[in-house]
Amino acid sequence: MAAKYTEQQLDALRELANIGSGTAGTALSSILGRPVDISVPSVGAMELEEAVEAVGDPGQEVRATLVPIKGDLQGSALLIFPPDDAATLCGMLGVPADGEDGQSALAEIGNILCASYLMALGQMLGMEIEPCPPETAWDLLGAIVATVLLGQGESEGALLLDSDLVVEGESCGLSFLLLPAGRGITDLLERLGL
Amino acid sequence: MSTRADTIVRMGDWAVSADPDDSLVTIGLGSCIGLVLLDRVRRVAGLAHVMLPQARPGQAAELPPQARGKFGDLAVDALLDAVLDAGARRLGLEAALVGGAHMFNFGANQLDVGARNEAAVREGLAAARLPVKAAATGGNKGRTVRVHVGDGRVLVRAAQGADELLVKGSG
Repeated sequence: MAAKYTEQQLDALRELANIGSGTAGTALSSILGRPVDISVPSVGAMELEEAVEAVGDPGQEVRATLVPIKGDLQGSALLIFPPDDAATLCGMLGVPADGEDGQSALAEIGNILCASYLMALGQMLGMEIEPCPPETAWDLLGAIVATVLLGQGESEGALLLDSDLVVEGESCGLSFLLLPAGRGITDLLERLGL
Repeated sequence: MSTRADTIVRMGDWAVSADPDDSLVTIGLGSCIGLVLLDRVRRVAGLAHVMLPQARPGQAAELPPQARGKFGDLAVDALLDAVLDAGARRLGLEAALVGGAHMFNFGANQLDVGARNEAAVREGLAAARLPVKAAATGGNKGRTVRVHVGDGRVLVRAAQGADELLVKGSG
């Protein structure tokens, strides 16, 4: 069964995601030199099977950057780019989306956004959080999300902190998913005194 | 071609069909394994979407058959019982495996769930003396599998790729 969280705990996690993605949005905005809008994050605890479907159509092909997280908070940050949006984003950075340059650009965006997001969380919670080197994939959304959750050791439920970042005036956006691993969630909530 | 109905097999689930117009489909297998059992003469097929190699110790006893597709060490027996119930012959069965990819390194963490899933399912098949007819496993790409019950064709499509015939149709 998926772990159960109180409304208060979910509100606190939503606020964390809000602050983290706000900081990540500012970082993206300064890379691109354009304003970036951030959605109100959605936070949910669910069964693994549901979590994979909650992220989107599992058969859809997307670009993704995975940043594994170590230290006081274990888990993963996963950035999901629809392929057209990835192409627009790479275009703004002056690199072709296909091939190695595009791949490194998306890896680097993942690196910077994740570092900003996690630094904001770390400072607020007094935790040492270490992002690992980014890895990229161009694959089926369902395969990506399931493989990340199972690979970080989840066997029952998952907690999703999902924020959307959209570049103003362009049809270009990405989803930033924070996926704390089982023990990470408990640690996070303890730090918040919840 | 007849109009075929797709039965989507979700993560951790399995499905069996003896309706020749059916297709059993699993979308987006990464480290997960799609386990196919086929009797191409009786036209019975089963597909399980295996997520993890082993159930926790003591967990198997409390799992109903429909929940056993989730684990490599339980999925073979659960799916075998179901295809036999649906009219397949024990000696006419063939298996095919799809998935078990290694998509990420997780910061050099060596937990390769895909390879362990494949090993667990192959062990289960060997114990049940079921031959593996074909496999599209490993690599670093996610896959979608489609099993046509009527003629026993198994089609696999890797991310950014085209449909490939893994098991040929029987007429």
